[in-house]
Amino acid sequence: MANAEAPATAPSRAVLELTGVSKHYSGSPPVRALDDVTLSVDAGELVAIVGASGSGKSTLLNIIGTLDRPTEGQIAIEQTAVATLSDAGLAGLRSRRIGFVFQQFHLLEAATALDNVATGLIYQGIRRGRRRAMAKEALDRVGLGHRLDHKPPKLSGGERQRVAIARAIVGDPAIVLADEPTGNLDSRTSADIVDLLIRLNRDGSTIIIITHDQELAASLPRRVTLNDGRVVGDDTHGAHLPYQTPEPTGAAL
Amino acid sequence: MTITPLAPKWRSKLLAADALATGTQGLRGRKGRTFMTAIGIAIGIASMVAVIGISSSSKADLIAEIDKLGTNLLQIQPGNDLAGNTAKLPVEAPAMVRRIGPVEQASSVSRLNAGVQRNQYTDDSNGLDVYATEPHLFDTLDGQLDEGRFLDAQTATVPTVVLGSVAAERLGIDALVGGPVVSIAGRRFAVIGILEALPLNPDIDRAVLIGNTAAERYLGAEIVPTAIYLRTNPELVEDVRRILARTVKPADPNEVMVSRPSDALEARAQVDQNLQNLLLGLGAVALLVGGVGIANVMIISVLERRGEIGLRRALGAKRTHIATQFILESASLATLGGVIGTALGATVTVVYARQQDWLQPEDLPPESPRRSHSAPSPVSIPPPGPLASTLPTQYARADATCPRRTCPMSRRQDGLLPRCSGNGRGRAHGSPLACVIGSTTLFWIRAAMSLYA
Ligand SMILES: Nc1ncnc2c1ncn2[C@@H]1O[C@H](COP(=O)(O)OP(=O)(O)OP(=O)(O)O)[C@@H](O)[C@H]1O
Ligand SMILES: [Mg+2]
Repeated sequence: MANAEAPATAPSRAVLELTGVSKHYSGSPPVRALDDVTLSVDAGELVAIVGASGSGKSTLLNIIGTLDRPTEGQIAIEQTAVATLSDAGLAGLRSRRIGFVFQQFHLLEAATALDNVATGLIYQGIRRGRRRAMAKEALDRVGLGHRLDHKPPKLSGGERQRVAIARAIVGDPAIVLADEPTGNLDSRTSADIVDLLIRLNRDGSTIIIITHDQELAASLPRRVTLNDGRVVGDDTHGAHLPYQTPEPTGAAL
Repeated sequence: MTITPLAPKWRSKLLAADALATGTQGLRGRKGRTFMTAIGIAIGIASMVAVIGISSSSKADLIAEIDKLGTNLLQIQPGNDLAGNTAKLPVEAPAMVRRIGPVEQASSVSRLNAGVQRNQYTDDSNGLDVYATEPHLFDTLDGQLDEGRFLDAQTATVPTVVLGSVAAERLGIDALVGGPVVSIAGRRFAVIGILEALPLNPDIDRAVLIGNTAAERYLGAEIVPTAIYLRTNPELVEDVRRILARTVKPADPNEVMVSRPSDALEARAQVDQNLQNLLLGLGAVALLVGGVGIANVMIISVLERRGEIGLRRALGAKRTHIATQFILESASLATLGGVIGTALGATVTVVYARQQDWLQPEDLPPESPRRSHSAPSPVSIPPPGPLASTLPTQYARADATCPRRTCPMSRRQDGLLPRCSGNGRGRAHGSPLACVIGSTTLFWIRAAMSLYA
């Protein structure tokens, strides 16, 4: 389905299309971080990218997020070829169509939760008052409506990640990209965050999550597996499996 | 796959108010460092301002002083004749000089071959001269009296003297109470006045002055002018100066020496200038050293904020937005330090000038008639070129061109500034100072990073 030709009349529903994308790092030895990756993600999907450490997951996400350019191949976001865009065009794309969530949260320490979320809109040229109103709405959506004036050092890890997620979705982007969003959280909090992402997806957000957590991945509708920079698996099951907190004993499900 | 190459339909945009807020955010968030850096800039600029301010104020003060004395005073003295003997000025020379149009006043003095003592019993050679002169010498030299009065038509004919300031001191006469007298060639002369010092005419300071008539009558002297002082129209000083010698002695103009006493004082001001240049050089070095320190601090703050830069890129900032943020940040820092430093330097200058009793602007007469060129305001404070550290901005910009390196997602940071600095270098600034700072800090950073790697 990744390579399916869209009928000429019907517009493609794909928000993201990668064709033969490779990324090489010169050096000794040279690294093929990505090797001929072809992938298509439709609007409204929730995709997990899984794979061993060093398999190229972050590289892939950076390329999707236009923070990095591929050595070979094409990427289109909402049918716009990224290669044709200038720095300003890419910045525009990132400011309005892509939301990022990082493992390290990357919040501004000196700013309140509300202002951190509002910063997500700053490069859209939206006035401060309106930005804060939108930020409050987004914080309500992630369940932090009662922590607007707290600064990151006074928030728990899970709360910080919620602020970061609110910042990613506040501008209603076409794609939300999350690189190990639960990597720094305990399992209980991880489950909450995953639940939140699933809920946001049901409300219509397209979300791509990198994860090491097999169980988390299994609970998501689609998994793309990378190995040594190649896509070695792309399986879909329609129904969401309920995500459960791993037992402290480590017993397999 | 349908790919439509489009002109960018999504625009990244930063409102001016937000640019300002982000530009100062880093400063507000690190108050301690902001304060220290601003103080560093302030001290550098303050020392610069104070050095320039004090040295140019002292020079301006000297020039103003000279201007107040008048640059239109010329002095004629006899030179040497061909045989090497001191020539004589013609007796009618003062009258001839007065006939020159632009000459406003002219007075002559005749040095008498006589000594002067406190009384007739002492006979010490005190190096004082006796000059016979006319009452209007006082106006020509723009003199001031310390005590008593100057010679007038009446007192110029009787045995009275007026003392120059040095002469009074050497004779031990500092007041007129008790009717002091001096002895010239054994004759007693009553002291009727004491002059204040005349900076342009130190020879008069060392003289006692008697009237021409009294000199002839009581000392049997022959009045031959030994110096003529004249004031000219300030605009025509040079023209008058050129024709004076020929006017005084048409046959032997070479035997006449014409000088402008204020020139000597101005030459002294120029000598001071060399010392001031040296001080200025020291100040510049201090500022350079301070500047390198500031640049280092700014670069560190850019480097430690790679994460923030990457985040802002991910949030949709253009390269220019990032560059603007850091330019605004260094500009506000430099402005803060610059304003404090200028105020500090100006205060030091003013306080020092007060202590030195230099002329303040209000001391100058609004329209000094004898000023031949407009004097600069005596207390002068140079404008501070706030040496905004534009350099770190360049690094921020170089970083911004490499999203991969600055992206918070990437753990690896390959080499510092190798290909990316190429297009940023030399674009943000062109000043040699920044160049020096730039190469120093670039070296410094490379060294630091290679230690890290
Ligand atoms: N800037 C770089 N220069 C050279 N090699 C790089 C660079 N960035 C990544 N690589 C290499 O590319 C490969 C893929 O890296 P990537 O970060 O995408 O892995 P990952 O799947 O995200 O790993 P992890 O699960 O540990 O985060 C790795 O072998 C890595 O060493
Ligand atoms: Mg990774």
